[in-house]
Amino acid sequence: MKSPLSMLVAVLSGLLVLAGYFFPFPALIAIRTPMLDWAVTLAGIAGLVAIINLMVGVHLKRLREPGSKRFFSIVVIISFLMVAVFGFYLGPADQKFQRVVTAIQTPIETSLMALLAITLTYSSLKMLQRQRNWMGFVFFLSVILFLVINSGILAFSAEIPVLQDLLSGFHQIPAAGARGILLGIALGSLAAGVRILIGSDKPYSG
Amino acid sequence: MPTLSADLLWMFVSFILTLMVFSYLFGDNALFRFVPALFIGATTGYMFVIVVFQVVLPRLVAPILNGSVITLIPIILSGLLLMKVSPKLSKFGNISMAYLVGTGAAVAIGGAILGTLFGQIKGTLTAFDSLQHATGTTPLFLILEGTFMLVGTIATLVYFNFGAKNTAQKTAKRGWLSSAFAWIGQFFIAITLGAVFAGVLTTAITALVERSDFILQSINTLLR
Repeated sequence: MKSPLSMLVAVLSGLLVLAGYFFPFPALIAIRTPMLDWAVTLAGIAGLVAIINLMVGVHLKRLREPGSKRFFSIVVIISFLMVAVFGFYLGPADQKFQRVVTAIQTPIETSLMALLAITLTYSSLKMLQRQRNWMGFVFFLSVILFLVINSGILAFSAEIPVLQDLLSGFHQIPAAGARGILLGIALGSLAAGVRILIGSDKPYSG
Repeated sequence: MPTLSADLLWMFVSFILTLMVFSYLFGDNALFRFVPALFIGATTGYMFVIVVFQVVLPRLVAPILNGSVITLIPIILSGLLLMKVSPKLSKFGNISMAYLVGTGAAVAIGGAILGTLFGQIKGTLTAFDSLQHATGTTPLFLILEGTFMLVGTIATLVYFNFGAKNTAQKTAKRGWLSSAFAWIGQFFIAITLGAVFAGVLTTAITALVERSDFILQSINTLLR
């Protein structure tokens, strides 16, 4: 058996937290609350590990390799250091710091989202060309229908009861589909979680 | 006027960054690739600061300075997890990862059962339940609506069930009822994904309109 201590920790911590969900005894809740707090702290530390790995393990290593990728790694490292130093000096709640970060993040995020409008339209038309089957056709019709509904052109339907009922009926179809997909995800999470708690899956022993 | 010049400077930076992103429309290029690099660097820097100020200092450093002995547990687990950075010491971090995965699995199971499964099943049956309190809507309409939701939900779920029996020809095949439900489920999935796609596209078009307006306004301001 590989890493029995890790498995014991995973199974015990998982069962204790899960028991706290279904049996609300004060003793169990008293154990569950700090355990969840520690998990939140560890999740933050895991974020730190990811950042250190990205900077040291990927970008600093790439500086030694020849090629154009080196330049972009320098950009990543310099922007990281500048924001980190500025943040430590002023504090994350400082208005100037917030302004600098949002002045970089907001236009990039919004522009990438705007670019997505063009690439999505292009790729959906390409898909329609390639997927000449009824599923592709239904998907395309659904996209057109919900684009029209989202655009607000049919706002006048509030005055026509029949049209309003019809639109309400159209909204029920994705609601039913989404419900089925959500239930599927929940069942999948349940199965994956149980496999970890019984020790069948050990994604932590890497 | 320092505020005005600072506003102008940040507007100019936003304008240049927007143009650099839009340069992708002419194909992948160095100007476009510069922007994600800057974005990744700035965002990870911001995350780093946030984690230190909102996790490390208040949850680990401050309690231990105040004499909370129990904080030693998350400190030790955090120290072990930090060893994941080094390939040689990485295995010591497995215990912390196991703790994280174990509690995460428990939270996922609790959320899936109490949040999603119970909630969605209850939601699917609401139409039938409201039959008792129906006002203004005919009971037949409520039954039809409820049945439609129920069939749609079950059919979508059945589509994702890939269990099948072996036939004499050694090829796995679904039963006829399962096949029929899966066929209906496909229809619901196609429409649902279409609706989701339309939602994303609407948001992206809104962003495109906003950015186009910003470019025009910036040119106007800069030329003045």
